[in-house]
Amino acid sequence: MEQIKITVALIIAVLLQWTLRNVAEPLTYIDFPLIIVAYAALQRNSINALLYGTIAGIAVDALSGGLLGAKAFSLTLVAYIISEVARRVYLDNLLLRIPVIASACLVNSLVYFGMHKILGQSPSGSPVVTVAYTLIGTTVIGTVIFVILESFFSEKVQKNKRDFFAPQKDTRRRNPIRLGRRRG
Amino acid sequence: MAIERSQKEVWRLAPYLMVVLLLGNFILMAFDAKEENSKQRVLRVWTQAAAEFVQSPVTTVTSAANGYFQSIYQLRTAQTDNDVLKEKIQALEIELQDSKTMTAENERLKSLIQLKDETKYKVLMAKIVGRDPSTWFDSSIVNRGNLDGIKLNMPVVTNEGLAGRVIAVSPITSQFVLITDDKSAAAAIVGQLGVSNALGVVRGMNDKDQLVMNYVPGSTPIEVGETVYTTGLDGIYPPGLKIGEVTEVRTGSATVPHVIYIKTSAKISSMQEVAILLYQQTERPKYEQALPNTIKDVNMLANSNVNTAAKPNTNANTNR
Repeated sequence: MEQIKITVALIIAVLLQWTLRNVAEPLTYIDFPLIIVAYAALQRNSINALLYGTIAGIAVDALSGGLLGAKAFSLTLVAYIISEVARRVYLDNLLLRIPVIASACLVNSLVYFGMHKILGQSPSGSPVVTVAYTLIGTTVIGTVIFVILESFFSEKVQKNKRDFFAPQKDTRRRNPIRLGRRRG
Repeated sequence: MAIERSQKEVWRLAPYLMVVLLLGNFILMAFDAKEENSKQRVLRVWTQAAAEFVQSPVTTVTSAANGYFQSIYQLRTAQTDNDVLKEKIQALEIELQDSKTMTAENERLKSLIQLKDETKYKVLMAKIVGRDPSTWFDSSIVNRGNLDGIKLNMPVVTNEGLAGRVIAVSPITSQFVLITDDKSAAAAIVGQLGVSNALGVVRGMNDKDQLVMNYVPGSTPIEVGETVYTTGLDGIYPPGLKIGEVTEVRTGSATVPHVIYIKTSAKISSMQEVAILLYQQTERPKYEQALPNTIKDVNMLANSNVNTAAKPNTNANTNR
């Protein structure tokens, strides 16, 4: 079930990536497919993460003017690195996931740019500016999307919420004033 | 226990799968990088065609929303615009009269010298349904494909001037690269065709609205503000399309050509609709095809009647 949810999220991410540039140019600096692939990789299933990375990357490449396979290459690599790190290090905390998104974005941009350079292509714009803006945009929006995805996907979060907002009768029982009144 | 084992299996298989996928992607990239002139790939073409079904309604909705808010904003300046437009209409009416006179004169002259009119081509309006999802590139996808008669390398224009050329065509969509892309180039002239002799090549600089023009002889005087047009010598763009205006000239000398910077006429960053010229490239004559720097296929050269004693230098091929 979770795989279907992630697949749907990935399709929406690719379409958003393609559409939002038409609405506002700066929105292109948010790498939606990368965010979803990073999320999938954090679920500790490397094979699924790799396949998500490749498929999403090829879809983006097909709609882009860049080399076919370049985004797929970088996303596959990023997915593998994240899933390997997640296997060894505890990364379930949101605060720990923020640097993961930032690092993934940095690696993805550098690999994508590097592959084009190696194969004699020259992407437009200043690499430093593009990488910096993408890093900021993707990290900020990625954190928000991670929170949303967690609330949608994880049943554990629902349970935690129930525990966090405890029933009122429990607190009432421990209230010393009310206890005092009962005695009186 | 069984779950534990399968998880271990996943971890064991993952590196192999990664290597296979990376290798596959690298081969795909290398194959794509080999062909520089076109992005026509089966995978790309069909993905674009499939995505168009979803993209088109989304673009319609977002455009409608954008248009609604823009119309509210523009209402504030409507009165001023109205006055300006009335003045413009009067001026245009006078220009139209002059133009009619000149057209009639032109037709008479053409019939006199029996010139064949080669500049007639159909124009197909198209809507931009998607922009490049990558921040590194700036191609666009329009809702017209080869079912509408679009073919590779057809010029894309706006009402202000040249915008780019088609690089991939699916049955219902086409992808075009902008003239500002550093892989785009066009044979151009500063000033009117037939009057000026400032011929050169305009290239993209990967800048939003800046182009650079090279190979214009340093002895030819060039002024800032002059208009640059296509000459049609590249065989892709028809002659007489407006490219832009000269913004800066790095003056050359008798032996060094000028370097001319041009601002594009077409508003590249805010295009919503474009027109595709159904213009077919004129087939080059045999002797021209046989020139060493215009041919790729050596076998073709061998089949031609040209003396093949001097082998073509394929490395000198200019893909622009």
